[in-house]
Amino acid sequence: MIRTEEMLLNVGPQHPSTHGVFRIILKIDGETVIEATPVIGYLHRGTEKLAENLQYTQIIPYTDRMDYLSAMTNNYVICHAVETMMGLEIPERAEYLRVIAMELGRIASHLVWYGTYLLDLGAMSPFLYAFREREAIINLLNELCGARLTFNYMRVGGVKWDAPEGWIEKVRDFVPYMREQLKGYHDLVTGNEIFLNRVKGIGYYTKEEAIDYSLSGANLRCTGVNWDLRKDEPYSIYDRFDFDVPVFHTGDAWARYQCRMAEIEESLKIVEQAVEQFPAEGAIMAKVPRIIKPPKGEAFVRIESPRGEIGCYIASEGKKEPYRLKFRRPSFYNLQILPKLLVGENLANLIAILGGIDIVLGEVDG
Amino acid sequence: MLGLTKGLKYTLKNLTKQNVTTKYPDAPLELPDRFRGIQKFYPEKCIVCNQCAAICPTECIQLTGKKHPDPAKKGKIIDTYDINFEICILCDLCTEVCPTEAIVMTNNFELAEYSRDELFKDMRWLDENDANIRKENKV
Amino acid sequence: MIEHLLQSPPGWIHFLIFFCLGAILLAIVLGFVTYAILAERKVLGFMQIRIGPNRIGGRFGLLQTVADVFKLLIKEDIIPKLADRPLFILAPILAFAPSFLVLAVMPFSENVKFADIGVGLLYYIAVSGISAIGMLLGGWASNNKYSLLGGMRSAAQMISYEIPLVMSVIGVILFTGSLNLTDIVEGQKHVAYMFLSPIGFIVFFISSLAELSRTPFDLPEAESELVAGYHVEYSGFRWAFFMLAEYVYLFAMASLMTVLFLGGWNPIPFLGFIPGVIWFALKFSLIVFIMIWIRGTFPRIRADQLMEFAWKVLLPLALLNIFVSAAVKELFLK
Repeated sequence: MIRTEEMLLNVGPQHPSTHGVFRIILKIDGETVIEATPVIGYLHRGTEKLAENLQYTQIIPYTDRMDYLSAMTNNYVICHAVETMMGLEIPERAEYLRVIAMELGRIASHLVWYGTYLLDLGAMSPFLYAFREREAIINLLNELCGARLTFNYMRVGGVKWDAPEGWIEKVRDFVPYMREQLKGYHDLVTGNEIFLNRVKGIGYYTKEEAIDYSLSGANLRCTGVNWDLRKDEPYSIYDRFDFDVPVFHTGDAWARYQCRMAEIEESLKIVEQAVEQFPAEGAIMAKVPRIIKPPKGEAFVRIESPRGEIGCYIASEGKKEPYRLKFRRPSFYNLQILPKLLVGENLANLIAILGGIDIVLGEVDG
Repeated sequence: MLGLTKGLKYTLKNLTKQNVTTKYPDAPLELPDRFRGIQKFYPEKCIVCNQCAAICPTECIQLTGKKHPDPAKKGKIIDTYDINFEICILCDLCTEVCPTEAIVMTNNFELAEYSRDELFKDMRWLDENDANIRKENKV
Repeated sequence: MIEHLLQSPPGWIHFLIFFCLGAILLAIVLGFVTYAILAERKVLGFMQIRIGPNRIGGRFGLLQTVADVFKLLIKEDIIPKLADRPLFILAPILAFAPSFLVLAVMPFSENVKFADIGVGLLYYIAVSGISAIGMLLGGWASNNKYSLLGGMRSAAQMISYEIPLVMSVIGVILFTGSLNLTDIVEGQKHVAYMFLSPIGFIVFFISSLAELSRTPFDLPEAESELVAGYHVEYSGFRWAFFMLAEYVYLFAMASLMTVLFLGGWNPIPFLGFIPGVIWFALKFSLIVFIMIWIRGTFPRIRADQLMEFAWKVLLPLALLNIFVSAAVKELFLK
C-alpha cells in the first residue's frame, strides 16, 4: 500500500536564499507548498527600545543598521522627523547632498536586489556585474562620508561632510556610465526567455490586496497603484526634479522586476538634475543647538526608501532622548503577504517570490 | 531565443574585459581620506572633558583622568583611555565632538584578532596607531 | 593491440595489462577533471570580470584543484546518525563507477581506443543510466528532506531527458547504419553529422546539459532552493566522488558529442596534417567551453517547466528529427 504524507520543511534560518536569518516553516506535499509560516526575529536588536536611552545624534548610527543596503534613507528619515519637530530650515547645499546620496543609495540597493534575485534564480553572473556598478557607488559614498555601508552621514540640521573636491564631477560621470551598464543588464537578463518563464505570473496579487496588506514601494507600484512619496508628498527638494514614477500593472514578480529596473533609471535622472542644480557654495548645517531637544509633542514623517515607505514616529517630552521612537519599516510590512502568496506554489517559486519582495532582514527584525 | 543569444553575447564580451577585482591582501587597499577607521589618540591633547565617552552610542569608550602633575596648571590630564573594539561601530561621533582633536580617525581597518580580549585597546595602543591619519587632522 | 589482447585466451598478464591501461585512462581523466574544474572557474571568473583562482600554483592557480581535493581527502568522514549507512556509503560509488565505465567504448582517435564493441552507443546510454540510481540513493539514504527532494528531482530529470537524448541520436545511427562509435566517426569523413541533422544536434546538446545537470538544468543541486540537492549531507571524499562523477560525465558527454556530431578526430578540410587526437581535443574543448559559457549566462529553469520542455518540446523535435534524417539519407546519402 502506497501512502503519501505531507512533510514539514524548514527553510532557514540558515539557507542561501532567505537573504539573512529568516525562517519559513513549510508544509509541503511533494514540492507543492500547502502552508507557510514565516518566523522572524533572529536579527532583532531592539533599535526602537535602545533609542529611548540615546540622544538624537546617537540614534543615527543605529538606523544605518536597519536597512543596511540603503542606510542613507534611514539616516534621512530620523533627521527629517527631528527637523520637522524643531521646525528647522535646512541649507540648500545640504539638501542637494542628501538627495544625491539617497538616490545613489537607492541605485545601489536596487543593484544588490537585482544581483541577488538572479542569483536566487540560478544565474550567477548578473550578481557580479551588479556589484561592479554598486562598488562604484559605494566608493563614491565612501569618499563622501568615510564608510561603505553604515554611512552615518546625515545630522539633524544638515549633513556631516561637504562634498570633497571633484566629487560632484565624479557623480556626473557616473550617471552616463551607469546608463550604459544598465543596457547590458537588460541584454543579459531582461529578454532572457528562461528568466521570463521564471517570473511571469509568479507571486501575483491584486491592487486591493496590495493596499490591504499595506505594501509599499515597488511591491505596490507593480499592481498599478501610482504612489510614490517623492511625488505625492514631496519632502526635501524632490519637487524640483523632473522624474516619472514607474508603474506596472501585472502585479507579478515580472512587474516588480521591471519596476525596480525602471526606478534605477529614474534615480539616475534625479541624480543628473541634482548635480546640475547643485549650488556652488553654501552652508551644510543649519543653526542647531549643541544638545538637540525637540519640543514636547510628537511627529510622524514618511519617505520613500528603496523598499517602500519608511516612516519615523517620535514622541518627545522635550528631553534630549525621545520618549518613544517607532520606525515603520517597509520590509516588515511587505513581508506580511508572503504566506498568502506561497500557498499552492512549488519550492522553486518560493525563492522567486521571496526574492521578488526584496526584504532586508535587518529591517524586518528591527 | 533572441534573449538567450543576447545574454550569451554579453558574457562573451565581458570575457576579454579588464577585470575589476583588487589585489587586496597582497596590495593595500586605497581608501579615501575620510574613511572611518580605527581611532588614533593623542594623550597630550586630551583635556578629559568626557564628551567622547558621553556621545558614544555603544558606550565603548572608558576614560579616567588625574590631576595635572604641575600644580601651577589647572585642569586634568588623561590617565587611562580604553576603547572596546568589540562593540565600537566606528561611527565617528567621538572625533566629531572632541574639542581638542585628541581623538581622530585613521584609515586603518584591520582589526581581526584571535582573542576577544585583544580587541580591548588601551591608551598606549591607540597612541601608537598613528599611520594613515586623516589629512585635516595631521599635526 | 587491444584487438589482439581481446581475442587471446585470458590470463593474469592480460589482466595486468588491462588494469594498467585502465589506470592510465583514469589518470588522464582525473587530470582532465582537475583542469576542467580550474578552467571552469577561470573562464567563469573572466566572464564575471574577476580573475578566479590565483593563489596556489602560481598566478594561474594551477594547483588549486589539487589543493581542494587534498583538503577533501583529509576531511573528517561524516555519516549522519540516522542515515541509512550501507546505502549512504554505496551511493557515491554507484554514481561514480558508471561514469568511468562508459569511457571504455570511447574512441579518442584512430588508434587510441579501448573496447571497440559493436553496440558502443547503446552501451554508453545504458550504463550512464545507472548513475541516476546512485543520486537517488544518496538523496534517500541521507535522511534529509532537502537531499530527498534533490534526489527525486534528479531521478525525474535524468529519466525524462534520457528519452530525447536517445531519440536524437537515432538520426546518426540511421546515417551510419551502425551503433559502433568508430564506424560513426568514419561515416563523418566528408561532412559532420552536426550539419546533416542539426535538429538532432541541438536536441542532443540540450538533453546532455540536462543529463549532466548543468545550468540551466541544475535543479537537482539547485543551491538557492535545495541548498545542495542530493549530496547535502555528504562531505569529504564521498562528496568528492559525486563531484568527480559529474565532471567525468562532462568528459564523457563532451567526447560522445564530438564523436557523434562533430566528426571525432576527422580534420577540417585542408588541415589534415594535424594529428587526429588534437582535432578531437579541440572539438572537445569547444563543447566544454560552450557548456561553461552557458553556465555563466543563464538562470535556472523551473522543475515543472523542465518536464514540460522535455516531453512537449524536445521529444517531438527528436521524433521529427528521425523522419528528417531518414529523408536526408534517402535523398542525399544514397
